[in-house]
Amino acid sequence: MADGGNGAAWTAMSLAMLGLGVAMLRLSWLGRGRRALLRLGGWAGIAAGFLAMAQGWGGEVGVAYACLALSPVALLAVAAGAERRAQSVRAPRQPALDPEERPSSWTRSTAKALLSIPLAGIAAIGIGVAFALHMPMEPVDRIVIGGLLVPVLWGGGMAWTLSDARLLRATLVLTGVSLAAYASAFLPKVLG
Amino acid sequence: MASLPQTEARRRKRQIFKPHFVRAMLAGHSALGLAFAWLIYVVCLTGTLSVFLFDLQRWEQPHAPIVDRAPSPELIDRVVRTAYAKALAEDAVDDISIRGPDAVSPRLLVSFDDHEKGTGGNWLADREGNLVVRLDAPWTAFLAKLHINLHLPRTWGMFLVGLTGVALLSSLVSGLLSHPRIFKDAFALRWGGAKRLEQADLHNRLGVWGLPFHIAVSLTGALLGLATLIVGVLALAAYDGDSGKAFALLLGPRAGADAAPAPLPDVAAMIRRVQAQHPEARFARLRMEHAATAGQIVHLEMRRPGHLALGNAYYFDGQGRLLGDGGYETGSIGRQILAALAPLHFGWFGGSPVKIVYGLLGLALTVITHSGVVIWLARRRDAGRPAPLWESLWAAGAWSQPLALILSAAVSLAGYPAAILPAYAATLLVSLILATAVRSGPATTRALCAPAALAALGLVAAHVGQWRAHAFDASALAINAALLACAAALLLRAGSRRPRPAAQAGFLPQAQAGD
Repeated sequence: MADGGNGAAWTAMSLAMLGLGVAMLRLSWLGRGRRALLRLGGWAGIAAGFLAMAQGWGGEVGVAYACLALSPVALLAVAAGAERRAQSVRAPRQPALDPEERPSSWTRSTAKALLSIPLAGIAAIGIGVAFALHMPMEPVDRIVIGGLLVPVLWGGGMAWTLSDARLLRATLVLTGVSLAAYASAFLPKVLG
Repeated sequence: MASLPQTEARRRKRQIFKPHFVRAMLAGHSALGLAFAWLIYVVCLTGTLSVFLFDLQRWEQPHAPIVDRAPSPELIDRVVRTAYAKALAEDAVDDISIRGPDAVSPRLLVSFDDHEKGTGGNWLADREGNLVVRLDAPWTAFLAKLHINLHLPRTWGMFLVGLTGVALLSSLVSGLLSHPRIFKDAFALRWGGAKRLEQADLHNRLGVWGLPFHIAVSLTGALLGLATLIVGVLALAAYDGDSGKAFALLLGPRAGADAAPAPLPDVAAMIRRVQAQHPEARFARLRMEHAATAGQIVHLEMRRPGHLALGNAYYFDGQGRLLGDGGYETGSIGRQILAALAPLHFGWFGGSPVKIVYGLLGLALTVITHSGVVIWLARRRDAGRPAPLWESLWAAGAWSQPLALILSAAVSLAGYPAAILPAYAATLLVSLILATAVRSGPATTRALCAPAALAALGLVAAHVGQWRAHAFDASALAINAALLACAAALLLRAGSRRPRPAAQAGFLPQAQAGD
């Protein structure tokens, strides 16, 4: 890991690599036809930027710095290529995709809300707690990782239940998962 | 030359997700975004400002001392003893905390409290270890509380904010899955044409390129908010319902119950002991529980470069014996994640450059939330089903925030800390009433941005007038400069009267729209 001065040099190198990588990806994705080499070069540039930052600041902090640096570098590239448009634009050749039209009613909306918030939450917490209790790891590790699983699974459950038009399927899956998770978490205590 | 249907078929084939899947995801994304939009917006905006909590504290108290060098072990020991004497005088002896100067804040913050009596104090120390001035930053405390629990009862508020983090995380997932041309469109930004196309480009570009940051802050925020609930269920299953036992496992040993008087331990010796093993370690924080009792315990956090954690915790008993360490820097994965949660969430691991990038990306997340609702409203308008009341209410919900935050800061600066929350809530309420009366999104936006800009200018003038030379403290100067930039942006927004054509362009596959 570098000291402050070397850290700055590695940061400058990393920013240059990230910039080069982003520029190559931009050329590749905005251009017509297949530009596999450019695309490969772009990703390689970004990977080199991450490596340079990790070299300068250590893997843990360096990767965090590189993730943070990539966003503004890429957004600068987006802004640099922004297209100013006249206020009247012609219609697109292909209409855009709109959200799926679904039958809507208060009962259905309430059911969706109940599925996506409490039921998905109950299932996610159940899995997280079961993980925290039963995984063969150090207690702190399983509690922290089990805790991290909760928002990830809850968020995933929300996205799924709100996009799935079939309420019964989501209800059955979430109820089944909840029963299994809480049984796994609480049965040993109840039985023992 | 390929015919149009062939081109179309190839275009569809290149898309990552099938149209039906994308439309279903979009439906879920819209429903979730709309249900939580305002909460996500407020939490993101206040979270963005919270990155600069220590700078805002300095803005509120620019005359307080800064400690611009690493504190020596003797200085920390002296501060502990001074804090104990002050706590005795104020009948608040139980726990003592010290937060050292570091890259995030160059101040030496000393706190003491007695939970049972409800007494306590927060002081700022100088480089000699004297407690010079009480910490007096009520607006910063208001902002932190707004972000952490929305000023609701603590447990419920934190749960709601945690749930908002989950909704944000879920929106990121569904937004990503409903993006059929994520790579092809990664650099497209068409500005100035149809509003819906412009906002969709902005929404998607900021969303995709800021994704690592967005996921990191929403995941860590959700976990921090939901921790009490998760640990509560875990405690029911494994610790006889005692959450304290589960938390103790995570947060290290707690003080013993023996309340017999005992001398304060030699903190300087503890710091030197850690530095003998790790010469590069610097003091970060200290927490002493049940100070000056036989059961006292010290959690000493020392920071080594190259880690996200604020520091590794070393546990000492009242006789100065090392009991172990938290493993926050080089311990198991769970311990390292645990210690990195708060620094990753607030951007407190790399000094000012990291805070600035966090501020910009936090603002981007706020803009994404705002543009998501604007796109939905524009889509309704394009479909011939405009919702002027909702357009107006959303404009009020969003644009009232700068005005409400600036006015509440002005009330605080004027010396009325009890009026901060009422000022914020009243501004929000009046804005919503105004929106209901006006029923026009653009008019409501203009009506709120113009006074917010003027209020920001007035706030800077009042701050400089009140603190004079102290207003040129580095952090105070930076905050005032940011306020002036904010005023300029709000004035521009208030003066924007650009008429927009009905949007012909679509939400997601933008590169196909109008090209």
